[in-house]
Amino acid sequence: MAAPELLSDEGYRADGRRPAELRKVRARMGVFAQADGSAYIEQGNTKALAVVYGPHEMRGSRSKALPDRAVVNCQYSMATFSTGERRRRPHGDRQAGELALHLKQTFEAAILTHLFPRSQIDIYVQILQADGGNYCACVNAATLAVMDAGIPMRDYVCASSAGLAEETPLADLSSPEEAAAGGPGLVLALLPAAGQIALVQLSARLHQERLEAAMEAAGQACRALHAVLDRVVRERLREVTALMGD
Amino acid sequence: MAPPARYCVPGERLCSAEEATAGSGTYTRHGFIFSSLAGCLEKRSEDGGLPVVSVVRDAESQLLPDVGAVVTCKVCSINSRFAKVHILYVGSTPLKSAFRGTIRKEDIRATEKDKVRVQMVPISWCEMQCPQTHTKDFRKVARVQPQFLQT
Repeated sequence: MAAPELLSDEGYRADGRRPAELRKVRARMGVFAQADGSAYIEQGNTKALAVVYGPHEMRGSRSKALPDRAVVNCQYSMATFSTGERRRRPHGDRQAGELALHLKQTFEAAILTHLFPRSQIDIYVQILQADGGNYCACVNAATLAVMDAGIPMRDYVCASSAGLAEETPLADLSSPEEAAAGGPGLVLALLPAAGQIALVQLSARLHQERLEAAMEAAGQACRALHAVLDRVVRERLREVTALMGD
Repeated sequence: MAPPARYCVPGERLCSAEEATAGSGTYTRHGFIFSSLAGCLEKRSEDGGLPVVSVVRDAESQLLPDVGAVVTCKVCSINSRFAKVHILYVGSTPLKSAFRGTIRKEDIRATEKDKVRVQMVPISWCEMQCPQTHTKDFRKVARVQPQFLQT
């Protein structure tokens, strides 16, 4: 059973949001000039930075190069100052490895890798402040960074988390909501135009009848996020053409 | 500069595959053409047939060497069996980061492949010299024949 304080009697969450409301999103593209593509995103208090290099020749072992498409190499790390208590190891732990693998699978589905055989595309994401929805912020930041780098993609990849407070689905969970005892957490990464799911992950347990409501809430959140990211990309395009035109 | 016709983002449906052909920066799916880059839409009419729809960005995207491409390379290491090269230009566009390649001795000439010999003569314990161009290469050498020794 979800803890009662997730949703108040009037229907407000702990941070004053409505159940289907997303946190405030601020995003910027092209934050680093040296990298091929870069982006920074803030979703509420969660801050993520993504940097993309490529496509370039395979570094390291040439034998791992695929003859017909590019290899997507992801690294996920959390800054030592990102959580309440100072973290000891930014990269090596198992959670970072697992999230990096999920990122790799997600972007291999979205990037048109068959256009770059025998090459490598590097995506590095770093969480500067973690307040729930780490993987989602990384996916959204990485989508903007890949677009900034000019690497062809099928579609945006928008990710959002969802949970349940008793019967009501909540969208875009923050850190205290994720940590709520026994509460299920659904993470969805969606390609909005075609409605294709790149990744879905569920933690804890959820009754079968509630699954559809939770998936629907996550899907709606992803589509809302898509609208926000689209505005950011178009704004950036206008900015770049204005710079080029002068 | 004239204002651009239209901005496109990845996943945006541009038109149906019957009205135009997919150019660079686009892909086709279910009989429609979608954009795969964030840039400006360009529609060029071809002489015979459908117009070509493509999406262009201001910065050129990374060009990769492909089968059949003409590339300009610089030799960085050479031995009797093959030469290692850095690929610097594809066609006439310079690459941002050099790619590495190998040219085997059999691939140097189209005919008389067996007779190609990469000749470098050792002249001292740390130098080798090509007898034709007289360029010197620094390399550790095991034994130098007395007639070639230059100390």
